[in-house]
Amino acid sequence: MGLLGAGTLLAAGGLRVYAGRPSHAHVAVVGGGFGGATAAKYLKILKPDLDVTLIEPNRRYYTCPFTNLYLGGLRDFESLGHDYRELQEDYGVRVVPDFAEDVDVDGRRLKLAEGSEIAWDRLILSPGIDFRWGALEGYDEAAAEKAPHAWKAGPQTHLLRRQLEEMEDGGTFVLVAPENPFRCPPGPYERVSLIAHYLKRNKPRSKVLLLDSKDNFSKQGLFMEGWEEHYGEMVEWVGLSNDGRVIRVDPDRLEVETEFGTIHRASVLNVVPPQKAGLIAHRAGVTDESGWVPVDPNTFQSRKAPGVYVIGDATEAAPMPKSGFVANNHGKVTAAAVVADLEERAVPKPTWANTCYSVIAPEWGITVANVYEVHDGELREVPGSGGVSPSGAPADFRRNEARYAEAWYAAISQDVWGTRPPG
Amino acid sequence: MESRVSAEVSFSVEAGLNMNNKNDKKQRLPTPVPESGPANPGRRRALRLLVAGLAGAALTGRTPGLANNRGSAAWERIEPARERLNGATPKDGAIKLDLPGVTQDGSAVPLTVEIDSPMSEDDFIEAVYLYAGGNPTPELLDVYLTPLVGRARFSTRIRLNKSQSVLALARTNRGEWLAGDREVRVTVSGCLSRDDTYDFDAVMRTRVRVPERLEPGQIGEVRTLIDHPMETGLREDGEGQPIPERIINEFRAEFNGKSVLKARLYRAISANPYLRFPIAPNGSGEATFHWTEDTGESVSESFRMETG
Repeated sequence: MGLLGAGTLLAAGGLRVYAGRPSHAHVAVVGGGFGGATAAKYLKILKPDLDVTLIEPNRRYYTCPFTNLYLGGLRDFESLGHDYRELQEDYGVRVVPDFAEDVDVDGRRLKLAEGSEIAWDRLILSPGIDFRWGALEGYDEAAAEKAPHAWKAGPQTHLLRRQLEEMEDGGTFVLVAPENPFRCPPGPYERVSLIAHYLKRNKPRSKVLLLDSKDNFSKQGLFMEGWEEHYGEMVEWVGLSNDGRVIRVDPDRLEVETEFGTIHRASVLNVVPPQKAGLIAHRAGVTDESGWVPVDPNTFQSRKAPGVYVIGDATEAAPMPKSGFVANNHGKVTAAAVVADLEERAVPKPTWANTCYSVIAPEWGITVANVYEVHDGELREVPGSGGVSPSGAPADFRRNEARYAEAWYAAISQDVWGTRPPG
Repeated sequence: MESRVSAEVSFSVEAGLNMNNKNDKKQRLPTPVPESGPANPGRRRALRLLVAGLAGAALTGRTPGLANNRGSAAWERIEPARERLNGATPKDGAIKLDLPGVTQDGSAVPLTVEIDSPMSEDDFIEAVYLYAGGNPTPELLDVYLTPLVGRARFSTRIRLNKSQSVLALARTNRGEWLAGDREVRVTVSGCLSRDDTYDFDAVMRTRVRVPERLEPGQIGEVRTLIDHPMETGLREDGEGQPIPERIINEFRAEFNGKSVLKARLYRAISANPYLRFPIAPNGSGEATFHWTEDTGESVSESFRMETG
């Protein structure tokens, strides 16, 4: 904590500004999730004399990945929580538990909710997603208290779990899935799988209905195979062309209306709403009309604000999906780009990888993996670099993939936050 | 679930691009490269199909043709558009195209066309023509409007096989031409890899939503969809045989027997063709919708609409 005093200045008006040590470059990182915490750690690994400040309001961070396992009764919620002790104690990152509210790009200042400011030489934003409240008629913040999204880990996840526990046997769980792009492309499909698992065990007369604004989705063939194998007719998916697109939500009646006028009534209603980049990206002026952040593919530096880098779900990084795995890769690649920039060296040629694991039932997992590169100035999949698990694979293959999923979570948690698996 | 058939087909990108590309073969064909080009068919890259194979081509990362033609207006770069204009110069930027700047799924890209027009009896948009110059065949959709739509605006879903510019031309009832275009980047997300499935039993099943009652002068909204694979004729089946083209090629909407909107659909309209458009009926009556397949088969639906 010695760093703290060294760089804190008191400006004339009593405003508290943290600027790092005068002779050292200072990088501020906003957001302590998969992207931001990784970037902060790898900045210190690559350049230990750098001053790095991580701004994250939560002292304990719960991951969105694996909340579906919690909802399905396969995992304890606390096992999804991580803290910043390793970053502070072992890597010397200054962690500020506050909310980044505004950015002055020209003045290179970050304004925090509790009034202090941070002066930075380079800024990395990893703000994740926000919801476009009201973009789906009837679905606003108040509606989410009745029909949870549970698309950020926390109180919403607990609310959905409680509603499932209180649901009567023979009820209908309805999940409304959005158009692309959104956080975690296989997430809605894994969620209905594991909720079907919970219901099959506890409320076997219930039904699971997935209303989708798309005609195709991530690992579709493998999910459908798994649903048939494990849940038979309990799970029903209705795609866009079958009138699956929901255009209105009535949170009081737990009803949704589709494009061609079908009304579906739910016992528990889970709406995954349309999304956009997290708040600070909009405040920094780095988003475009899509609501996401265009970036230079080699460095993930903003195309609109020099010195500002944006990583993770907030970016337009397609064909890379908005996944925790990808955000972790962004964190490392961008840390290297920032260090190269500060040292006035050429930026190393980047490569990223992703694997999306999905668990359909206990001991039953599927995956999709890819490697990405910059080609002709654009991000692309390295030809032939990946693919999905085979269809019709034997049970031991699926069991191994489910174990790889657990092992992946343990490994990435350790890489990002230093969290070791219990026991 | 029993009726859901998996149409798993391998599709060669280059073969797809070469077929039916007679209009602009010379300027548009990619230079054959030994690893993947048609010069070495034994090592052609077979890609897992994304609906109708069109989206798969984005993986090659090539943009044949476009680079040679930069600098000219979008309508000058697309031969059927030039032919349609027949020497006329359109007023550029007069059509608003609402398309995602980046799309992860080239098999169904939502598109809305909007043109500022009173749509009155003596001043209206009578035709809109849509093109995607980077597709194997550029034509997307021709739409013929009448003042009964009330507003020059409609939506559909299109197939784009790679990043490119989508072009719209429009002709007013006075013979003036308008143009607009928009760049779309098509990627294929790794988390979106999937097989192609569709329900053969439901082909030609329709869905329509019309307003049952409107106030006089009020503009309502019509949504239509027909289940149809829109086979492009550019795919091969498991044995390497081409799957013949089979598409819905005409849609008509009428009110009391008078045309509201008529459309000619091409192979790059997404499976399960979707059209959403306004309607401004001049009284109560019957709205009728007709779809016709290229086999000649057709289907119609009628709905009562009350005004006042």
